[in-house]
Order: sequence, then C-alpha cells, then structure tokens
Amino acid sequence: MGEKFEPKIIGFLCRWCAYAGADLAGTSRMEYPPNVYTIRVNCTGRIDPTFVIKSLAQGADGVLIAGCHPGDCHYMEGNYMMLKRYTLLSRLLEQFGIEKERVRLEWISASEGEKFAKTVHEMTEKIRQLGPLNWNTGKKEGR
Amino acid sequence: MVEERIGVYICHCGTNIAGTVNVQEVTEFASKLKGVVVAREYKYMCSDPGQDLIKKDIRECGLNRIVVSSCSPLMHEQTFRRVLNETGLNPYLFQMANIREQDSWVTEDSKAATEKAKRLVAAAVRRVSHHEPLEIKTFSVNPNTLVVGGGIAGIEAALRVADSGKKVYLVEKEPTIGGHMAQFDKTFPTLDCAACILTPKMSLVGSNPNIELLAYSEIEGFSGFAGNFKVKIRKKARYVDPEKCTACGECLNVCPVEVPSEFDLGLGLRKAIYMPFPQAVPHTFLISKKETPPCKLACPIHQDVQGYLALIAEGKFKEAYQLIRKTNPLPAVCGRVCYHPCENVCNRRYVDEPLSIAALKRFAADQVDVEEIEIPSITKNGKKVAIIGSGPAGLTTAHDLALMGYDVTIFEAASEPGGMLRMGIPAYRLPRDILSKDIGYIEKLGVQIKTNVKVGKQIRFKELKKKYQAIFLAAGAQRSVSLRIPGEDSEGVIPGLDFLRRVNMGEKVQLGRRVVVVGGGNTAIDAARVAVRLGSSTTILYRRSREEMPASKEEVHAAEMEGVKLTFLVAPKRIIAEKGRISKVECIRMELGPPDASGRRRPIPIEGSEFTIEVDNLIAAIGQTPDLEFVKEIGLELSPAGTLKVDEATLATNLEGVFAGGDVVTGPATVIDAMAAGRKAAQSIDRYLKGEPLAPTPEEVKAPREPSEEQIAEFRERFPVQERIEPQVAEPSARIKDFSEVVRGYDIERAKSEADRCMDCGICSECLECVKACDLEAINHEMKDEVMEIDVGAVIVATGFDVFDPSIARQYGYRVYDNVVTSLEFERMCNASGPTGGKITLKNGEAPKSIAILHCVGSRDENYHEYCSRICCMQSMKFAHLVREKLPDAKVYELYIDIRAFGKGYEEFYKRVMNEEVIFIRGKGAEVTDFAETPEEEGKLIVVCEDTLLGVVRRIPVDMVILSVALEPRKDSDKIAKTFLLSRSRDGFFLERHPKLAPVSTANDGIYIAGACQGPKDIPDSVAQGGAAAAEALSLIDRGKVEVEPDIAVVDENLCSACRVCIRACPFNAIEFDEEKEVAVVQETLCKACGVCVAACPSSAIKQQGFTDKQIYAEVEGILAT
Repeated sequence: MGEKFEPKIIGFLCRWCAYAGADLAGTSRMEYPPNVYTIRVNCTGRIDPTFVIKSLAQGADGVLIAGCHPGDCHYMEGNYMMLKRYTLLSRLLEQFGIEKERVRLEWISASEGEKFAKTVHEMTEKIRQLGPLNWNTGKKEGR
Repeated sequence: MVEERIGVYICHCGTNIAGTVNVQEVTEFASKLKGVVVAREYKYMCSDPGQDLIKKDIRECGLNRIVVSSCSPLMHEQTFRRVLNETGLNPYLFQMANIREQDSWVTEDSKAATEKAKRLVAAAVRRVSHHEPLEIKTFSVNPNTLVVGGGIAGIEAALRVADSGKKVYLVEKEPTIGGHMAQFDKTFPTLDCAACILTPKMSLVGSNPNIELLAYSEIEGFSGFAGNFKVKIRKKARYVDPEKCTACGECLNVCPVEVPSEFDLGLGLRKAIYMPFPQAVPHTFLISKKETPPCKLACPIHQDVQGYLALIAEGKFKEAYQLIRKTNPLPAVCGRVCYHPCENVCNRRYVDEPLSIAALKRFAADQVDVEEIEIPSITKNGKKVAIIGSGPAGLTTAHDLALMGYDVTIFEAASEPGGMLRMGIPAYRLPRDILSKDIGYIEKLGVQIKTNVKVGKQIRFKELKKKYQAIFLAAGAQRSVSLRIPGEDSEGVIPGLDFLRRVNMGEKVQLGRRVVVVGGGNTAIDAARVAVRLGSSTTILYRRSREEMPASKEEVHAAEMEGVKLTFLVAPKRIIAEKGRISKVECIRMELGPPDASGRRRPIPIEGSEFTIEVDNLIAAIGQTPDLEFVKEIGLELSPAGTLKVDEATLATNLEGVFAGGDVVTGPATVIDAMAAGRKAAQSIDRYLKGEPLAPTPEEVKAPREPSEEQIAEFRERFPVQERIEPQVAEPSARIKDFSEVVRGYDIERAKSEADRCMDCGICSECLECVKACDLEAINHEMKDEVMEIDVGAVIVATGFDVFDPSIARQYGYRVYDNVVTSLEFERMCNASGPTGGKITLKNGEAPKSIAILHCVGSRDENYHEYCSRICCMQSMKFAHLVREKLPDAKVYELYIDIRAFGKGYEEFYKRVMNEEVIFIRGKGAEVTDFAETPEEEGKLIVVCEDTLLGVVRRIPVDMVILSVALEPRKDSDKIAKTFLLSRSRDGFFLERHPKLAPVSTANDGIYIAGACQGPKDIPDSVAQGGAAAAEALSLIDRGKVEVEPDIAVVDENLCSACRVCIRACPFNAIEFDEEKEVAVVQETLCKACGVCVAACPSSAIKQQGFTDKQIYAEVEGILAT
C-alpha cells in the first residue's frame, strides 16, 4: 500500500445524546480525524447487530456505537438493550476473528463533545494500527 | 414504481463549509450519482433564496426526492421539510447530510473533508431513494398546563398562563409555594425586601381561579406526548383540611412537639403542626409525621407512647392519662408491671439510654384518680358475651366489648377479680387498691364480674353457650409445673404459684428460716422476694446462668438488693425428708451445653458434683400450664403443648362462637401480651356477632426498624447526652419489712425532665391535643395521601436548585466552628421573621465585631463545581451592606476571586458597597481555623487567604464567617429528569434545546424549563424564563393541535409470529397483543419511536417508519461504496 491507510468507521449514534454530542464537538471546533461517518438513529436500542455486521461486511474497518449514559436514555432503557446486544455481538465477532477494538460502544452525552472527539481519535488511531479489515474481499492487508 | 428524481443541494454556509470542503467538487460528484437529476451549490441553503431554489427545481424538474447537504439535521431538518411541504411534496422524501458540524468544523484537511462530504452525500442520496411518503398525524392539544415547582420562576409561569384564561396546575413539593426566594431577606441590587415583592405574587397564585395549587404534592407518573400528557400526582396528607382551616393558630398553642424548622434551616424550632412561614400559600397548617416510632410498633397494644411522653413533658398529665386510656384499659397496672418492650427499641438508646416509658406511664396514672374519670356514653346493642377469667386478657376483652355496646359478664373462679395480676403479682409491685381501681373502671362500663364461679363446677360450659352469643376463654395458666424429683410430696415443699396465691389473697403463710426457691422466671423472683418479706433467708437455685434468666433484669436486681441469694448452675436432684417434712435438698451442679429449642444453652448435669443443703422450705417455680380439666368434655382442641388451640389471626377455637387468648393459649407470658390477645379477641367477637367475615383485613405488619447510620448520627448531633432519670425506689432495708410498694415513682419535675428526653421520632406524637383545640374540626389524623390524575397539554418544569453543603469542604470549618454560617442561613438570620428576629448574632447571642464573607464556596472550584453560581458576588455584597446597616461598627471583609457584577444596576451596587468601608480582598478564602498564632487571634476565627493583589498570605481574625455557597442541581433532579425524559448538561442542570436560541425549550416538545433548574440564575432571569416558558406553553396550546412525527413502529401482520418479544421489549407499554388476529399491535399515540422493538423482533415484522432497515443499509452502502 502506497498511501497511508485511512480507516473507514461507521458511527451509529443516537440522536439525543451521542449525535448531539458529535454536533457539539463541531460547534466547539474540536478537531478529530474525518474517518467516522455517522448514521443517526433515534436510540441505540434501534441498532440491530446486523447493522454492524453488514457495515463490516461492506468494507468498514470499524463501527462505533454511541448512545446516552446508563440511566439517561431518552427512551428509558434503549441503551441497556444495546448493551446486552453489544455484549453478545462482541463475543460473536471475536469468534469470527475480528479484533474487539474494531467495534466499540461508548456512552456519550449531548454535552460531551470532547468525549466524542477523543473517542474518534482513539478509535481511528487503534484501527490504523490494526490495518484494514477487508472483510468484504477476504484479503488482509497492511499488517 | 415512479422513477426517482433526486435533487441534491450543497450549502456553503458562507465559509463555514466552503472554507474547508470543496463544494464544487462535491456537487460535481453528486450530479453523477444514481437517480440524481440536479445537483446545486449555494451560499446559504437555509436562506429564502436558497429555499426558493429548491422549490423552483421541484416544480420545474419534477423532483420527487431532496437531499440537502449542510449543517446538522438537528438544526435545519424541519426548515427543509417545510420547503418540500410547501411545494406539495411529502416532507419525508428528504434527507440531510451533515457536512458542517461533523465535517468542515472538525477537520482542517480540505481534501479529507471533501472526501468525507462526498461519502455523506452519497449515503444520503442512496437513503433518500428508499424514503416513502409518511403521514403526519395531528392531535388536538389539551388546553391545561402543568407547572412543576412553586419558586419564583414557577409562580411567574403559572400566573402568566393563568392570566390568559387557561387552566394551570401548579405542583409544589413543599407545603408552601415561594421557593428559596421566600427565605431571603433583601434582594440585590435594589434592596427590596424579598417577602414584600414575592408574597403578593404568592397570594395571586392562591386566589387565581385558573390556578389549581397542589402544594405538598409530588409527581408520581407521567406519560403521553406534546399536547396530550397524562400526569399522576400524589397529594401528601396534610392532616389539616385547608377548606376548614382558618389559620387561627390555636393548634400551635397546644402542640407539645418541637422540631428544627426546615424553613429556618434548623436555626429555629417549629411545632409538629405548623405553617412554614407566616405568609405561606396555601395559607393553612399541616402536620408532619414520619414513620410510626419504634416504641409504638413494639408495644403489643400499640400505645401512643410519644404522645403521652410529650404531654407529660408539657405538664399536661390528665391529657397524657386520657391518651394512654385510648389504647390501654389498665394504665396503672401496666405502668408498674409491664416488661416494656417499647424501651428496648427506643431510639434514644443510640444517644444514651432509652426513655423510662413504663414508669412515666405510671406517673401519669398516679396523677389522676380513675374513679373520677367520666364514663363515656355507650349505646347497648343487646348482645351478650361471656368471658371466662378476669386476668389482663379477659379484662381487656371485656373493656373493649363493653365500649362497643355488648353486655359482658366475666366468670372468675377466685374470690376477687384480676387473675394473675392479683394472685401472681405481689402487692409490693402492684398495690391491691391500684389494681381494684383499674378493674373498677371496667365494671363501671357495665361489665359484670361474677367471682367464685368456676366454669365446670358452679356453672356448666353448655349453659354458658346457651345464654351467651359468644364466649371468650381466658382462664390463664394457673397450674404449677412439678419438679419431678423424689421427695417432692414432702411437707414444706410448695408450688410457687400456690405460695404466691395464698400470700396474695391474704392468707397467713408460715415459712421456715431457710427457704430455697427453684426457678429463674419472674414467678421465682416474686416468690423469693415474698419469702424475704415473710422473714426467711432465701436462696434461688437456677440451673442455667444469669444471662439465661427469663426474669426481668430490674426484678432480679431488686431481689438481690433485698438480700435474696442467687445460685446459678445448680438443680435440685432429691428432696430429703425427716418425718415427712423436708430437711435437706440434694443438688447437682450443671454446665451449659449447646443451645436448645428455646435458643438458650442447655444445662447438663456434672456427674459426681452432688451436694446437699439444709432447708426448711422449698418453693418450686419452674413453670405453669393452663388448668384445662373442664374443656376436655366440651370438645375444645388442644395443642401438643397442652394449651388451647386457636386460629392465630382470629383467636377462634374449633367451637363456633368460642374464642380463646392469653396464657391459656400461649402458656405463661406477659401482661401486655395477654392484653393484646384480649384486644384481638374483642375485635374478632365483634366481627363474629355482626356476621362479618372473621379474618381481619390483613394489615401491614410493621416491625420497628433499626435506624440507619445517618439517622443515628443525626440523633447524636441533635441530642446531647442526658442520662435517664429513674423513679424513686424505697430503701431495701425498709421495704422488706412489709408489702408496701417498692417503686415510689417520680415527682413532677423529674417526670417532666425524663419525658422531655423523648426525641420525637415520629415528629407528630399523635397526642391529638390539636384535634381538641380546633373548633373548626379541621384536623384529621387519619388523613391519607391522595393520588390524582390530570391531563395537560404543556409542562413547565421549574424545580429550582439546592445550595451546596459546605461541610464536605472541611477547610471552611462549617459545622466545626459555631460561627461559620452559609449564605442561606445568614439570609434567615437577617430576616425580621427569622429565628433571630433579624439580629445578626453569634451563637452566644453577642453581636459580631468583624465578619468575613467568602465568595465561590463550592463554585469555580474543580473539587466541587467548576461553574460560576452567578449570584454569589452580588449576594455577598448585599450581605456586606446589611451588616453595615445593622452593625455600623463591625468590620466587613469580602474575599473574592473576581467580582462579577454583570446585571442591570449591579456594577453601581458594587461601587456603592465599596464606598461603605467594606474591605475587599482579592483572593479566595483558603481555610478557616481557630488556631491562634498571635494574641490578637485568640478566641477568633482566622480566615487564611492569599491576597493576590499584594502577593502575600494573610490571616484575618474575625468573629463570624459567611460562606457564599454554590447553587447546585436539586438532589432529586435525577428523578425529575427521568420522569419528564429531560437531558442534563454536564453540571447536572436540565439541558435546554439550544443554549442561545431555545433556552426554555427542551428536546421534548411540550416540555419547557424555567429558572435555576436549568442553571444558576438570579431572580430577574428566573422571572424572565418563567414568562418565556409560559409563552412557549401558550403558543402550543393556542395552536390547538400538534403534529406527531411519523417515525413510529408499525407491525406487518403477515410477518408477525406472535412471539410477543416486542411487548416485553417496549419501554413504554405501547405494544398490545391482538388476541383475535394473534398479532402485536403498536398503539401509535404511545409509541415514542425508539425502535427497540424493531431490533428485537426476530421475524423482522416490525419496521420503524423513516428508519427502516433498508434505509439504514442504503446509508451504509453509500458511505462505503467508493
């Protein structure tokens, strides 16, 4: 690979906390790598684990899931649903041989722009080290 | 399917986007995407010309899908949807790509930002082609508004809405509205008196016909959506009917309970019945009650202990006695012989010692001649009840039933009534005339006592059954248990109970010089003390050790004082007689083995340890059983232990209409337990004779709860150690000469002081004096909380703030040094109606000569709150001014970091205070100590700070320190946030929709916030926000209808497999099961559109409109396509 590897990360964010937090990072002009592409859902409870698997299968190098802090869910307990699903999902992905750092669950409130930026920084850096996933082609490169 | 014709619009947002993202390149890229008909860029898409551009294209190019790539959809999604709507296109055929907040503003790398923008646009384009037209449902708006919180912001909001003619429910947790502002003295910078400007507004709230004021109430449940909320409100019991109460205050004069006043922050006291402050609205009293005190719970007949103690402390002895009588038919008896389980659980034991409750009851009884007590008028019901036995159980049943109107006859085998009270308990513990007087009162209620009538001998049980509609069997446990050792039938061996009975009934009993009593219970102690009084040298033999003795500790102690010798771990083995008369006892020593069924350690004989002692008499007091000769013939069932068998809940025996209780059921127990059984029997018999179901409605059985660590700490802080005052007792050497009463009781002063030690655990003592004092009959101690449900269209949350508790910041010495006070406490001190009547005083009552005011305590401090509390500078300078006014000679120091005098007239006020000889020191107070380093510092509080203008550390000796404490989110704000689904900002205050453009709206339509619950603010800002929130609510209500976002979940009936997983998953109970069709059905008004069910459905039968799997996959594909 000639060029520096830039991971593609899909971010599933709930609209009340994490998406608003991501917006706040922008409003506050916090710089972070442009590698995360966010998809807005109402609640992390809407996120079907299939979304994550599809994303990876279609060529994403990582998936970030971010929602309200425990107890702060706009829909009472949607984030707990996500937590349960995430726990199962990460075990499954581990069995597929996918590094667990590629799929990350974070609680980011609407006031935590800084935390969003920091999370993107860390995740991008980590996946840069891991290299491309290339799950769609089956080839592993750049390691 | 109609071919999709997509228009893509890339916004420059001035240079906000275009400065980083190459918009031309993105537009070019977009124009080549599948389905895209036009792609344009424009400087400001949200501006009118920008919007017109889209409209024009829709019309001219026949566009049927729109993508705008600009700022966050949270900002302008609604704007562009409106554009579609105005051109006749369904507004949901629209998607936004956020290339500002999440792209151009966070990346400086122009190339990368442009690439990211392209992917986001591609995602939006792919997604939008899967969009379907969605229908916006409209609902009408309920015209009522709920305001939560009655501080100045809530008051303003309620008044503004009400003035428009709309109905307002104002819910306030405290008993009065007014909030913190009511506690303030003066307001800055105008120095208006807070009460003068606040209370007229409070009265307006009280009198406004459009405002339903629900004070002392809390929100319990909340559901629904904008315009159509359902609210459940708990109105806590005030125990005073506000309709009847005229606030005359007669009740205050008689209430004996004083507790720290919450309104005065514990600096002053209030009564248990109270009004928080004189201008409270609603202008009515209330009674504060905590959970039932442990003493009352532990008492088998649940006497109002706290009540009569409070009355005794007040010197109202007759009232105390009457209160005791309400639950206890034998007060003088119980005051002497009860084993007082109440004292064992008294919370005061955590401070020093329990109250002397039983002795105080006796004191109250001693102050009143029971023969002069009025007999209540009783309406006879003509039904007849027979009671067998006149002990405490029988007497209590008779008393209770007589009051209910029954004709009660007691049959007593002995020649005098009282049962064990008379025959078992010696006169030195319970004088005969005292007992007779208590029984005499019961007779006066119309109870007939037939003595010398033994059932089975003088009268047949069958006869009773015929003559009486119900029978209560309370014959007690009269038969002594034998020792079962050889020689027991020798002359001079006496069963304990027989001995006591003979002495107590006045028989002359001759004892020898040396007497041995066998046993460790109260009967053994009684027998021994009687033997001492008959002139014998007495020894008690007990087979276990002192710890296992069932006799009460006081009794054992009294016996020892009187010369009774106790020998432990010894049991008689054989009685040796000479000429048929006892001469010696052979004893054996015991040791303690493992615990037996009773939980006490089992005594085991030590082989070979036998010894003999010479005695003249042996009294065997090792237990009693009921004498049940007569019941066998009539077919009453017995328990294996040889007692009567009854239903525990009703005391009914196996024979209809026959009940039993007391020792005859339980075996030998206590007076108060027998009385409790008697009470239960009376209630059962009453139900039985009324033909009601026998079993009582099960009441929650409450056991006394151990106080928590915090409660114990609070007790210890509030109550200094004060030792228990014991009643006077006769000298042992004098008292053993006859049978006169040993315990002489209290004199008036000692009784009052002892009763005054009561800590008022339940706050209201339920002495019911207020009920007597209230001519308007406004007081009802039985009042219960009420739960009401209301419908409202809009909600304004104005729940205010709490003040920071500086005791966690130990360096300030709060609660360590007497004269360190918080700003709110100082407000109360300055207030003319406050605890000091407006005088600024030290704890010792003197006026301070110097005062330091510390700014930013808990604010602007990373250890506590990072934010500025906004009011402290001005408040502190107001304090300085007030000190100047009230104590012109006192020195005043202001220790500040920066002075923030930002409001109208604030800077001018700062200048004014500076000219009033107030010493301003720039530097945060670092420490308050009383450790003097120089003679001038002796006896002072020394404030240590760094004077940052002089660059030196200073030590300022003062008399008083005022801590200007931070405002912080209310302790229950978490609960409120959950109830109304509010988000909170990092500091914990409620989050507004937009910090600048929507300061009183929240993320939830129809729910608004106002005042300090959103962040620290002063009164003018709180009032402004209250008004703004009212305007928001009114604008929603006036619109009359709301549109509900159509992004709800819908079930495809054909795919639903009826597994019901979704029903369990839904946090809002919005999914029901249609039993007929066997499918799940989403109720669209309850669905909040979280999508949890969609992800949970294993059959993919549920989809979320606007967030379908297809649409999300399309987005993923779009991002990853290139």
